[in-house]
Amino acid sequence: MASPDISITSLILCFLLLAVPLAINYRIKLQITEKVLNSVSRMTIQLFLVGVFLTYIFDLNNWILNLAWLLGMTTVASYTAIRNVELKMEKLFLPVILSFTAANLSVLLYFNKFVLDLGGLLEARYLIPIGGMLLGNALSGNVVGIGEFYEDIRRNENRYLYNLSLGASRYEALLPYIRKGLRSAFRPTLANIATAGLVFLPGMMTGQILGGASPLLAIKYQISIMIAIFVSTAMSSTFSILTTTRTTFDEFGVVKKEIYKEKGKKEKRKEKNKE
Amino acid sequence: MQEEIIRYENIGMYFDSKKIISDFSIRILRGNKVLLRGKSGTGKSTLFKMLLGFKEPSEGLLYYKEKPLNSQVAWEIRKEVSYVSQDTDLGQGPVKDLLDEVFSYRPNREKKSFERLNTLMKELELEKDILEKNFETLSGGEKQRIGILISLMLGRDIFLLDETTSALDIGLKKKVADLFLKSEDWTVFIISHDKEWERDGVELVEFGKEDLDQSRV
Repeated sequence: MASPDISITSLILCFLLLAVPLAINYRIKLQITEKVLNSVSRMTIQLFLVGVFLTYIFDLNNWILNLAWLLGMTTVASYTAIRNVELKMEKLFLPVILSFTAANLSVLLYFNKFVLDLGGLLEARYLIPIGGMLLGNALSGNVVGIGEFYEDIRRNENRYLYNLSLGASRYEALLPYIRKGLRSAFRPTLANIATAGLVFLPGMMTGQILGGASPLLAIKYQISIMIAIFVSTAMSSTFSILTTTRTTFDEFGVVKKEIYKEKGKKEKRKEKNKE
Repeated sequence: MQEEIIRYENIGMYFDSKKIISDFSIRILRGNKVLLRGKSGTGKSTLFKMLLGFKEPSEGLLYYKEKPLNSQVAWEIRKEVSYVSQDTDLGQGPVKDLLDEVFSYRPNREKKSFERLNTLMKELELEKDILEKNFETLSGGEKQRIGILISLMLGRDIFLLDETTSALDIGLKKKVADLFLKSEDWTVFIISHDKEWERDGVELVEFGKEDLDQSRV
């Protein structure tokens, strides 16, 4: 038993559902029509392209191509993570992409080898979707973790400098900030794990059940993938915070001011939006 | 011949293209007690931060024990010099835990002594239960005394004291000044507006007499 096909007509019927939020939007003047249409069309185009590409990649199933695809995803994830934390790219990009690659690739290969027991570790059908799930989740953890860490350092710079003056090494003085950043990075994933199955069925499990798998097999996959997600999030956020500090602090142990984007701009924009 | 500890040579500092410190020079030898006095907002605190390697002077040269200041010397200074900042900010959590953290730093590991802690707490009129309190809930005067306490427990003999007694009452101001000034071989560089520091053996240096810009650093 496989999932029933969705014809073009059915897709159009699905899009018709959007009439509901658009009607609400019209009635109470939310003024988000443009945003809704924009997001929905972006999603449709992106997924359509991905669908076409993946069809080819799955057919070819060339390990170099598969790895290249994964690396492409990692690059986008690193770029998005840094952009979302309002830090500048130059000093952070290299350490973040290296951390993402090391953490996700090692968890992914371990998972494919020992959990799924695949013959071909770099098989496109497994490598790409599972890699994507790990990366997507690690991304949100990193955004929270790195963001919190650097914001905290900026907010409490005097406290950090005072600790240096007391004889702390850079690492010793940074430890409280590392702890706080990592706690925040782990929190959303841990919350997700703790509520799995209670409120909603996680996406992967839903997909497998729709695809005809038994619920028991689906939950075994779900349990394994959640553990893999937590491990890769924990590894990549720890690596990112630790490796970025090598490029974001000067030899005196002081954080380089140029890594921060100007705060003024964002706040001004917010104020403009309020008007 | 006394050993030279600190030397500022024609130090100048610009902030937002305005000159806030200009042509400052001083030489401090072992055992010297120097009181730097001047209007607030003239960059006195910046002078200390330069020595600790937190700020780079725009012009001039800085020496510590006759070595020109670079990052290596700055890390050395942070292990040998005791700095008390204007508002001591140790972090969040019980004072006891924060003290433990300070004494977990490699250069301070052997320095923790309960006897010394108790004596100093009595002298600084700090109650025992302050160790259990959250640092952030302490009053300004209590935070200052915790900063003083730490600086005296580290067993160092060179001190940079930045408005260390501003929030204390007169009795305590005098007591703290006594604590820092009594040892002949201690080198103490003080920024303060408090009269209690002005006494025999303390060299008074007026800073920033010409009316410079008031912007703070």
